[in-house]
Amino acid sequence: MTQQLVSTVRPRRKTRRRFQEALTPILWIGPALGLIAVIVLWPVVVLFQTSFQHISPDGFVLGSAGGKNFSNLFDEPDLNGVLIRTVIWVGAVVIVTMAISMLLAQVFNARWPGRRVARWALIAPWAASVTMTALVFRWALDANNGVINVFLHQIGLIKSFNSNAADWLGRPSYAFAWMIAVAVFVSLPFTTYALLAGLQSIPGDIYEAARVDGATPWQMYRRITLPLLRPAFLVAALINIINVFNSFPIIWEMTRGGPGHETSTTTTFLFQLKQSFIGESAAMSVINFALIVVVVLAFLRASRWREQVS
Amino acid sequence: MKRRYGVVVALCAATALLTMTACGSSGKGSSASGTTTLKIVAADYGTGPSNTSQIYWQGIADAFHQANPSITVQVQTINWNDFDNQIQTMVQNKQYPDITEGDYFANYAQEGLLYPVSDVFSNPSNLLGVFKTLGSYNNVQYGMPFTTSSRTLFYNKKLFTAAGITSAPQTWADVQADAAAIKAKGNIGFGLPLGPEEAQAESLLWMLGNGGNYTDSSGHFTINSSQNIETFQFLKQLVASGDTEPNPGTKNRTDLWKQFAQGQIGMINGSPALIPIIQAGKVLSDSDWASVPIPGKTGPLATTLGVCDFTAAFKNGNTSKQAAIKKFLDFAYSDTYQLQFDKEYDLLPATNSATQQLSSDPVFGPFLKALPQAVQYPSSTAWAATKTQIQQTIGTAITGDPSKVLGAIQQTATKG
Repeated sequence: MTQQLVSTVRPRRKTRRRFQEALTPILWIGPALGLIAVIVLWPVVVLFQTSFQHISPDGFVLGSAGGKNFSNLFDEPDLNGVLIRTVIWVGAVVIVTMAISMLLAQVFNARWPGRRVARWALIAPWAASVTMTALVFRWALDANNGVINVFLHQIGLIKSFNSNAADWLGRPSYAFAWMIAVAVFVSLPFTTYALLAGLQSIPGDIYEAARVDGATPWQMYRRITLPLLRPAFLVAALINIINVFNSFPIIWEMTRGGPGHETSTTTTFLFQLKQSFIGESAAMSVINFALIVVVVLAFLRASRWREQVS
Repeated sequence: MKRRYGVVVALCAATALLTMTACGSSGKGSSASGTTTLKIVAADYGTGPSNTSQIYWQGIADAFHQANPSITVQVQTINWNDFDNQIQTMVQNKQYPDITEGDYFANYAQEGLLYPVSDVFSNPSNLLGVFKTLGSYNNVQYGMPFTTSSRTLFYNKKLFTAAGITSAPQTWADVQADAAAIKAKGNIGFGLPLGPEEAQAESLLWMLGNGGNYTDSSGHFTINSSQNIETFQFLKQLVASGDTEPNPGTKNRTDLWKQFAQGQIGMINGSPALIPIIQAGKVLSDSDWASVPIPGKTGPLATTLGVCDFTAAFKNGNTSKQAAIKKFLDFAYSDTYQLQFDKEYDLLPATNSATQQLSSDPVFGPFLKALPQAVQYPSSTAWAATKTQIQQTIGTAITGDPSKVLGAIQQTATKG
């Protein structure tokens, strides 16, 4: 469209054309926006709505509940324990995962025979369904004849089966520790690959130059690898925080949050509430949503995300 | 320009399609061609793929379809661990199945979701009268008894002999002494499933032994009565002495029943449904185990817990569908299928005509005679939420303070 052509049309048509031109990109991104609105935003709106409604256990809306869902939730005697456990869960899983993944990524970045096979093998925990992995661990930890207990028995660490010591998932604190281990196990592949991609994006000539300048391997790691790996590290950590926070299947399959709610995090707790108290469950979900937004914002701020990633 | 708009329109249409298919799974039913599809969701009583209830119901559905080509019945079975949860989720999402078989809850009737029995079953008087109240709301029956059972104590005679015990336990003190003796030989004394699967049954069996119950005779909840607290103090002490499996609050019935069948547990409360599991285990022969009345604090229980599983039909505002449900239920409740079910799972029938055929049976006869006196679960609308809470938390009374845990459950039950 040349300037000449535009200037010959009458003023009304001119504004109309401008309007159309402005509209074109919206039409292009419209479907994507529509999807986001329907699949992401609308459920959030419904969630907030639900948290202020009085809903019968069978799904009928009985009117407004005001803040009652929230006050009922805060009166739950188990809520504090659940919140503290959620913090431990996210903190422990993410920190341990990141630490191990840093090591693994270095190992996989180095050249050694069999690396290809090892890289493939690392995908396995990722490719397997998390539910299946959790179930495998649940039965491996069975107090009666779980394979982990059989092994511990053979090396003499567990004296007898069906004892309290062999019943890992029956004791809340041990059960929780095992579930953290399983969560780390399933988080490692993604994290390692994200970091590995970061490592491989670091140009080799920087290391070469450093070597020429007489830098030690440790110096090169601290001064070159770590700073240049930062963007990949931040992305991996952030995605892990969100994933682990929302993680449901591991806890659900291994202990169902029990006994009572003693191994529940907010995510499994809200599912248990849903059975009889839909509004209260929605209130828990709203808190969950707020928590993750706060955590993510705090993380982005602390890591000065903008400068690093964009 | 025109071509561009065409692309946009196509994209919009694609988006709309994508989002619509996500919620397009509901709303099946009678189609234009005059055929009707019914969906039955049933609990799975089987222990594995070989005897899953899917086979039983599919057999009925196929035979029924052959007799009534215009009606197709879709069968879905769900294991007991998830049954209540999944049915509740279907109801909450208003994706009602047409028929359920398993637990029945009065609150569905209260919400007006169910057909009264007389609307969907030709011969309600053939259903066992004992469980009528349990299936009723406001004196109208909505739940149709489908299968029943009563509970007894199963014990492993082999382990008893090995531990030098000569007679079956009659009192709590016997249970504790016998369990300790069996444990000393390296096995589990008493299997106590207080995990979420069926904690409400195990708890009630112990409460009855001390003259307690979930409700008093007029139906008011008495979950934290002094008898019940005392009962749980006894259990707490039993567990602390190591006479049960470790951490009973996290152990489920099905798993422990299987462990009993493997010959590793001395005593466990069971229903006839445990018998096929023992037989499938091929570890215990018929003479290696026996079942006796459940021990109470001072003597065996005179009455036991009578458990009844119900079918219920959900309303759909469609008379042709209602007629189809009626046809199917009449078909499924025939004596042949009742007896087939009882044979498969060693459970008891729930119709008078099928009961008559079994009354002289040496195994089932005594169970059937005991049924009319059996104690039942509360029939009030608060039971659904209360039961959920019992399943989730009553196991913590073993490690925590019984009066506090039972008190919290009582609070849920009476919250209304």
